[in-house]
Amino acid sequence: MIANQSRALRRKAASWLFTSACLVATVIALTALLLILWSLVTQGVSAINLEIFTNDTPGAASQYVGGLRNAILGSIMMCGVAMLIAIGVGILAGTWLAEIGGNTPYGHAVRFLNDVLLSVPSILVGLFIYQLLVVPMNGFSGWAGAIALAILATPIVARTTEDILNLQPNSLREAGMALGASQFVTIRRVIWKAAGAGLLTGGLLGFARISGETAPLLLTSLNNQFLPEEWWNMLSGPTASVPVVMYNFALSPDDVWIKLAWGGALLVAAAVLGINVLGRWLAREKKM
Amino acid sequence: MRRSLEDPIFRYVAFSAATLLLVVLSGLIVSLAIGSWPALSKFGPAFLFSSNWDPANEVFGAAGPIVGTLLSSFLALAFALPIALGIAIFLTQFCPPAIAQPIAIMSELLAGIPSIVYGMWGLFVFAPWFSEHIQTPLSGLGGIFAGVPNGANIFTASVILAIMILPYMAAVFRELFRSIPPQVREAAFGMGATPLEAVTRVLIPYVKKGMVGATMLGFGRALGETMAVTFIIGNSHGFPTSLFSSGSTLASTIANEFAEAGVMHTSALLGLGLVLFLITFGVLAIARWLLSSQRY
Amino acid sequence: MSDMTTNDIQSVIVPPPADSLVLEVKKVNFFYGANQALHGVDLPVKRHAITALIGPSGCGKSTLLRILNRIYDLYPGQRADGQILFDGMDILSSKVDVTALRARVGMVFQKPTPFPMSIYDNVAFGVRLHGAKSSSEMDEIVEESLRRAALWDEVKDKLTKSGLGLSGGQQQRLCVARGIAVNPEILLLDEPASALDPISTAKLEDTLEELKRDYTIVIVTHNLQQAARLSDYTGFMYLGKMIEFGPTADLFVTPKVAKTGEYIGGRFG
Repeated sequence: MIANQSRALRRKAASWLFTSACLVATVIALTALLLILWSLVTQGVSAINLEIFTNDTPGAASQYVGGLRNAILGSIMMCGVAMLIAIGVGILAGTWLAEIGGNTPYGHAVRFLNDVLLSVPSILVGLFIYQLLVVPMNGFSGWAGAIALAILATPIVARTTEDILNLQPNSLREAGMALGASQFVTIRRVIWKAAGAGLLTGGLLGFARISGETAPLLLTSLNNQFLPEEWWNMLSGPTASVPVVMYNFALSPDDVWIKLAWGGALLVAAAVLGINVLGRWLAREKKM
Repeated sequence: MRRSLEDPIFRYVAFSAATLLLVVLSGLIVSLAIGSWPALSKFGPAFLFSSNWDPANEVFGAAGPIVGTLLSSFLALAFALPIALGIAIFLTQFCPPAIAQPIAIMSELLAGIPSIVYGMWGLFVFAPWFSEHIQTPLSGLGGIFAGVPNGANIFTASVILAIMILPYMAAVFRELFRSIPPQVREAAFGMGATPLEAVTRVLIPYVKKGMVGATMLGFGRALGETMAVTFIIGNSHGFPTSLFSSGSTLASTIANEFAEAGVMHTSALLGLGLVLFLITFGVLAIARWLLSSQRY
Repeated sequence: MSDMTTNDIQSVIVPPPADSLVLEVKKVNFFYGANQALHGVDLPVKRHAITALIGPSGCGKSTLLRILNRIYDLYPGQRADGQILFDGMDILSSKVDVTALRARVGMVFQKPTPFPMSIYDNVAFGVRLHGAKSSSEMDEIVEESLRRAALWDEVKDKLTKSGLGLSGGQQQRLCVARGIAVNPEILLLDEPASALDPISTAKLEDTLEELKRDYTIVIVTHNLQQAARLSDYTGFMYLGKMIEFGPTADLFVTPKVAKTGEYIGGRFG
């Protein structure tokens, strides 16, 4: 009986230690993440002012205060083009997987490779586009950067599209077909419509993923201190982006530049958080 | 007659989109293979096994970055795994849902912060602090603590990597624990198990495969991560000689040197990319297989 | 005829002889957050007998069962007040060691819940928790428990195989074996046959019939025939109250409360 009691005590003590260790792990992780957020906000907020949106990035050894206008515009343009491609290709591919060919051996292969593409290191996509577009076109360009970003976002859109469409009840499909509608009309008018918010969420998740990507842009769009005269020419040469400017400036010895890098970091992080929150909110609305 | 054409065209377009994914991935592999061929054929096995990376003399051996990649990722996993497991267990087992939900949402949102932000934090905040309070006091000991006490080394890079993969791994672990039917948990506690016993003897075995898969996905992320590491690993190409010595990874070397590389150098960097692809592909393929076979 | 209120129903409790009681639930209230699920429930439980709890779904019979081993503790926001006397202590007291309590009050759930381990380890699980045993002792306990759960002959050649590979009925009997291996005084069963086919159900009922010689059993069931066949005492619950409790034969043949008669007669539920 005494042996049993000491055993019970030991078990309880071990369990208590374990529970405390789990609590400590949670506290450690939250502390680390809050410290990062804290630095980001304190360093970033002091760097954000009107000039950051109206001035272009400063050149070497200039006294010019500078901002991030060209980088912000470059990022928006490249991400915008990338998302147009990613949403088009991703939704079609996801629809094909969910509604048409997903259960064939070829469908399984595509799904598996999409998953691989989803987690391929982003710098490798940069290397690929460098070889595919930058070398043959004799130069870095915003278009190359946009396509690299599109390759990163498309698998996310395809994956969420397939998941969302699989959630739609079969009765919807049958109802559409029973009215004599073609498969295309059923998908377009019924399935896509019913899944609307979910599809948008997929797009937003993809957008959030690429808006802070740096590595592939280092190898494709590079950087550009100047903004072209005509906006439609913007992507035809080397193009600045917020993450690449952050990278270059953070490694510079100039305090003003480092400050700009923190400002950029806060902008990018805020954009990504905002997009993610919006995406989640839409997804939740859909479920209710 | 428009009707009769509509469906085949739609199917064809959707099929092409799906195929495009496949083409992109194959293109990626082929382009890496072609681009790296000059370097691979020139240096042969030495490309993998020599640690002599000397762009000035056009000699390239990738063993340093390969070892650096594996070492920093393993260390990151060693830091992140117990903590991620602790968070997931705490949130699903011990914490009132009213608190667990906001913590979980917050950590999932933080998982979306771009890695370059983690890298900047490492460079400007963590590395100086680490150098002053940990590395400098310990550097007298030598051995695994030897190294230039500037905070830029394999160890600090691993810590940043760990912080980066932490929210992601914790989220997957939490999902796995939540997928366990509540009756199984009740049955374990109903037998008179303590929380420790219920978690380690019943709940973790219940999702073991999925946990291994999630761990490998985290490992895969760490392997290919570029920006969080490049800032802080020190970027030297030899074998790391201690925990606190500077090093490099495959991805950080590519990011650092690509802009200034000559022809053979570029080919060697593409070779690094190919090696990185093969390693991550292997890890991810095993992880996906384990995750998809998680069912009871 | 009152529908959604039980205020005007006078409940009737015919308890077993006082010296034969092993557990006594007195005026227990239970809350899921702000919702009260049980209202002043009484339940006297006779030693070495089967007590059945019946009533329409949502009446609180499973809730009552889940109080008896404090499994509701797992969920913050759920709480009980009142008194449950078991062996001189109040189960609801915060001083009670719930792990020790649960070793004495075992539970089998609606759905089979084998653990992801071998059949042998499933049965040995609880024994190992509560005390070390030599391997020959353990072998004996495992065999004895499986025999009592009427599963031994079906699994004796595959004890090292996973418990998840058994059929639903076998899994449920494995859970019974796991529950009795720690030699509890009371075994709680929450609709244990609801997921089983008729043949497995019959086997399980035979097992329970055997077990009652050594254990006290409380079973929740929505199957009236099962309650009538199996139990010595029956409690009828409705809208969170114990409407009527008494010897099974009396309750089914001559119910003292009109509502009980209506339920047994199939007029609602």
